Amino acid sequence: MAKRLSGLQKEVIHLYRQCVKTAHKKPIENRPHFITYIRAEFGKFKDLSRKDFSTIEHLIRVGNRRLEMYATPELKDIR
Amino acid sequence: MFRSVFRAAPALTRVSGMRSGFVKPTFSVASRFYASSTLSKDEITTRIADVIKSFDKTAAAASITGETQFSKDLGLDSLDTVELLVSIEEEFDIEFPDKVADELKSVGETVDYISNNPEAN
Repeated sequence: MAKRLSGLQKEVIHLYRQCVKTAHKKPIENRPHFITYIRAEFGKFKDLSRKDFSTIEHLIRVGNRRLEMYATPELKDIR
Repeated sequence: MFRSVFRAAPALTRVSGMRSGFVKPTFSVASRFYASSTLSKDEITTRIADVIKSFDKTAAAASITGETQFSKDLGLDSLDTVELLVSIEEEFDIEFPDKVADELKSVGETVDYISNNPEAN
């Protein structure tokens, strides 16, 4: 990964970072659930072409909205 | 009535100017104190190595030096690197700004950043 990342790729990385950080705010015993969930959700689109801008942009928007939802402190576990 | 306000204003500014003059040196002393209490680079490296070892995805956790690159030597993809950096942030109780996190590619760079960060502990 020595190559430079495009702006869109950076956006994805930042979203992932936000997600992992949010997961670290959850109770420690449930953190692995969140991490595996995040990995799985991002992994679903691993093979998406990097040129598929509109899909990626859409997914980033959806991701941000879902992150907001999962970030509520009342939500403590995930399966 | 207005005249008294005008007369009071310069007096006030003089006072506040004086106060900021007093405050400034204390700040610089405080930051110097923090800087001297930061961790040594060796200590940071060993603690990062511990974090990497406890990280479940690393391919080769054999020997971690400043040269170790997250992607090349540890076999992490860009998202794994993000996770690792968040764990390191937790370990040292700091937060990397997104721009810095994008640039950190090796253990050495991370050590440098943390050792220059007065809030790390």
